[in-house]
Amino acid sequence: MRMAAWLHTLQNSAFSAWVVGSDSIWAYPMILTMHTVGLGIVVGAAVIVDLRLLGVGPGVPLDEVKRLFPIFWVGFFINLVSGVMLFVSEAADKATQPVFLLKLSLIAIGVAVTVRIRRRLFGGGGASILAASAVRTLAIGSLFVWAGAIVAGRLMAYLK
Amino acid sequence: MDPFSAWLEATRISTTMRNMTWLWPTCESIHFIGLGLLIGGAGYFDLRLLGFMRRVPVGAAKAFMPWAIAGFAMNFVTGTLFFVMAPHMYVPSAAWWAKVFFIVVAGLNAMFFETTLGTRVMLLGPNEDTPMSFKIVGGVSLFSWFAVLFFGRMLPYIGTGN
Repeated sequence: MRMAAWLHTLQNSAFSAWVVGSDSIWAYPMILTMHTVGLGIVVGAAVIVDLRLLGVGPGVPLDEVKRLFPIFWVGFFINLVSGVMLFVSEAADKATQPVFLLKLSLIAIGVAVTVRIRRRLFGGGGASILAASAVRTLAIGSLFVWAGAIVAGRLMAYLK
Repeated sequence: MDPFSAWLEATRISTTMRNMTWLWPTCESIHFIGLGLLIGGAGYFDLRLLGFMRRVPVGAAKAFMPWAIAGFAMNFVTGTLFFVMAPHMYVPSAAWWAKVFFIVVAGLNAMFFETTLGTRVMLLGPNEDTPMSFKIVGGVSLFSWFAVLFFGRMLPYIGTGN
């Protein structure tokens, strides 16, 4: 109950009123758009890593795949900040929405999978890591988990 | 409503698709997945054209482009369905026309690269900086695709006729 009260305090704050109530395109629309920009960066970077591990672009040195992780984290940071802002403005409603909780779970899995892939790549072993079926499983899993997170995020607008 | 939108929305195909309530959210989900593929594949190649990640041969960085094109195809199809279902949301929208403009810019830019500069790609080895022409093409592409994303997401909020 204290949790519910706290969520309502967030939702009824002046900041939330500005985010959802303001007519300015710099409020809700801009935050939402930044969240989509971040989505493109996060999923874009993850897709390239996954595809490379699955054999696409064999000419790309595996060492260079590592350069995609900082890009991934930049996108993730953009979406963490914009996502928290969007959440706060509707905290009490979103906190209990099943499809939102599903989205958060998929993101948590996606990040965990990405960290494991990163560890494999930085662990050395060169091209031999591609032979490991665990790496392929991680890459395929990553693709599906991020696609699932996108679908869950989209459906937040439609499912109660 | 403008006459064209009124006509299109009254057609059987438009009304039939609108009556399938699951179709719009499904197309949106596909549209956002396509966005990820497009930004990923095109953005990666653009960064290499801009001179980043120089140890990656330019030709190798291009290997993800079919996935970007697949993402674009997904979004072209779903985007066309959105348009047929609710043209009045797009025809009078300045944001939509800006989005279409940047899609055309990105397309012409890619065609220019393929027809004029493309053959030089293979001659460029790893560790080599890209010529200014490549950097301009990469910069225009990256900017255009993010502009497409920006105006697409801002579509309900700016320059709408209603």
